[in-house]
Amino acid sequence: MDVSFALTGKGYVLVAADTTAARSIVKMKGDEDKIKSLGPHLLMAYSGEPGDTVNFAEYIERNIRLYQIRNLYPLRPPSAASWIRRSLADSLRSRSPYSVNLLLGGYDTSTYTPHLYWIDYLGTMATVPFAAHGYGSYFALSLLDRYHDPEAPLEEGLATLKRCIDEVSKRLVVAPGKYKVKVVDKDGIREVEL
Amino acid sequence: MARRYDSRTTIFSPEGRLYQIEYAMEAISHAGTVLGVLAKDGVVLAAEKKVTGKLLDMSGAREGGYGGSGEKIFLLNSNVISGVAGIAADANSLVNYARTAAQRHLFLYNEDIPVEMLTQRLCDLKQGYTQFGGLRPFGVSLLYAGYDPHYAFQLYHSDPSGNYSGWKATCIGANNGTAQSLLKQEYKDEIDVEEAVGLVLRVMSKTMDSTTLGSEKLEFATLTLDPATKQPKAKIYKPSEIDALLKKHDLGKKDEDTEMKTT
Amino acid sequence: MSIMEYNGGSVIAMVGKNCVAVASDLRLGNQALTVATNFEKVFPITDRIYLGMSGLATDVTTLRETFRYRVNMYTIKEERDIEPEAFAHLVSSTLYERRFGPFFIEPVIAGLSKTSSGAFRPYIAGADLIGCLNFAKDFVVAGTASEKMFGVAEGLWEPDLEPEDLFETISQTLLNSVDRDAYSGWGAIVHVITPEQVITRTLKARMD
Repeated sequence: MDVSFALTGKGYVLVAADTTAARSIVKMKGDEDKIKSLGPHLLMAYSGEPGDTVNFAEYIERNIRLYQIRNLYPLRPPSAASWIRRSLADSLRSRSPYSVNLLLGGYDTSTYTPHLYWIDYLGTMATVPFAAHGYGSYFALSLLDRYHDPEAPLEEGLATLKRCIDEVSKRLVVAPGKYKVKVVDKDGIREVEL
Repeated sequence: MARRYDSRTTIFSPEGRLYQIEYAMEAISHAGTVLGVLAKDGVVLAAEKKVTGKLLDMSGAREGGYGGSGEKIFLLNSNVISGVAGIAADANSLVNYARTAAQRHLFLYNEDIPVEMLTQRLCDLKQGYTQFGGLRPFGVSLLYAGYDPHYAFQLYHSDPSGNYSGWKATCIGANNGTAQSLLKQEYKDEIDVEEAVGLVLRVMSKTMDSTTLGSEKLEFATLTLDPATKQPKAKIYKPSEIDALLKKHDLGKKDEDTEMKTT
Repeated sequence: MSIMEYNGGSVIAMVGKNCVAVASDLRLGNQALTVATNFEKVFPITDRIYLGMSGLATDVTTLRETFRYRVNMYTIKEERDIEPEAFAHLVSSTLYERRFGPFFIEPVIAGLSKTSSGAFRPYIAGADLIGCLNFAKDFVVAGTASEKMFGVAEGLWEPDLEPEDLFETISQTLLNSVDRDAYSGWGAIVHVITPEQVITRTLKARMD
């Protein structure tokens, strides 16, 4: 039932994920943060099988952190994405695969460009201007096809994101109530209010 | 007395020295000179080939190895070239290790290995031989000239102990003291590749024993950014290109017959 | 639902006169939902060999990286580029390594091989998901639009096409086939390999 969106704009990536932690039909928690900071300029929204998600996200978080400690600079977004994708692809053919879908948003400080990757639990990776996971994707992707502008300033990007969230709230029976929205740009990561 | 402490790499002498490593460094200071200069838009490497025999069959080496690699300058990865000084057999083994390490990084992270990381990979191996198992360390020093998006162009040096350091211009092998002091005098910050090529050739011609430079004694390479793709491009010069370059810088062999005719 | 059709996508290769062409569509889907329209399925192996892969997208990416690694190691050890024949067998044995838990892709190989006289001979091959090679003299197809491509190629292809004509033939074959396939399309990319150069063109198609 998780819903997550992400989109790029002029020099930034916006990542949004709902904040409900559910078990079966019961809502256990309403302020769960499902977007992890993997570095000074890298965000990861995760969704999927409860249990797998947090475990996998922490595994990734710590390995990416280890790389940064060892080498004094973080992995660049494309390299981090490739490594995370491979982790999932290897996991898929292991004895106990992770069922985790990811949206990876980052800002490359050496080329000054925003990057967004759509990754699913199979290890499928696509470099995209906007992306979504979960039931929300069936409503949001067509809206993003129409309204997304890769050169849009942050305010416009947020407006487009709000459109997606509103549409999901309006049309999806099991729509989540609250979202957390984070942005990554040249200044790093921060949370924004919609 | 010293005999007691130099038969193994792993044993300190009472003065706290590791003789085998010092001997390895000594071996390198007799090897052909290798010189590297870092410029703002590229890196330049040159190496002196020591022995050339007339009877040695060089037909197999004409095309060059992987990426045009020669006897002393090797392509380690699409973004790193290296010049080696020391025991050739040891160097080959290290070059092979470096290339494999670079490919492993490419496979894991889908990016060219950062230059310092490749240097570290080799130094970890070299350091291992000063502490464990083997009877002697690698008798090789290397210069690494490379590019990565983190720190752009870089020049590193590593020695048999597993130490490494970054340089603006440096030299290993025979006469490295002379070359280093020449470089110290002549190096300017903000030097570009064009000037660096001239500087390298000038210093090489002064440090090498032979009076005239030629492709049979010299290897030469540059690493720059391809203007079209913005990707690093290594160029290891072919013998004919080296001779042309020397001629351009007025350091090549003079054909005495033609000189006689023109005067 | 077959796993080979989960992400959709199609690739094709054709032989011409002293040249070969290989092309793929650009769609990446999650069954009926289109996720990306920039997912290339053809990759350069050497200056004269291209590899196309259709099937499960995660395996397309994994194998692309695996083949790059293995070909690079081959190039380092052999100090020369791999030839299409050798590469086809590398593909075959890599896939057969996973005989009982396969990668879900069908590869298409297109290249020019060097003859002893120094000239170039067109080479194409396809394989199934466990690496059974299929050497064709005309064209090979793979992916969700493969049945359609067989039909169109059978009608359009003729021997000894020059590079420009081959480009037109392979483009029309792919474009018209993917238009009849819901899981392929959203543009295409075509590579024509000649002894002198590789011509790469991105095609607009019906973007629906």
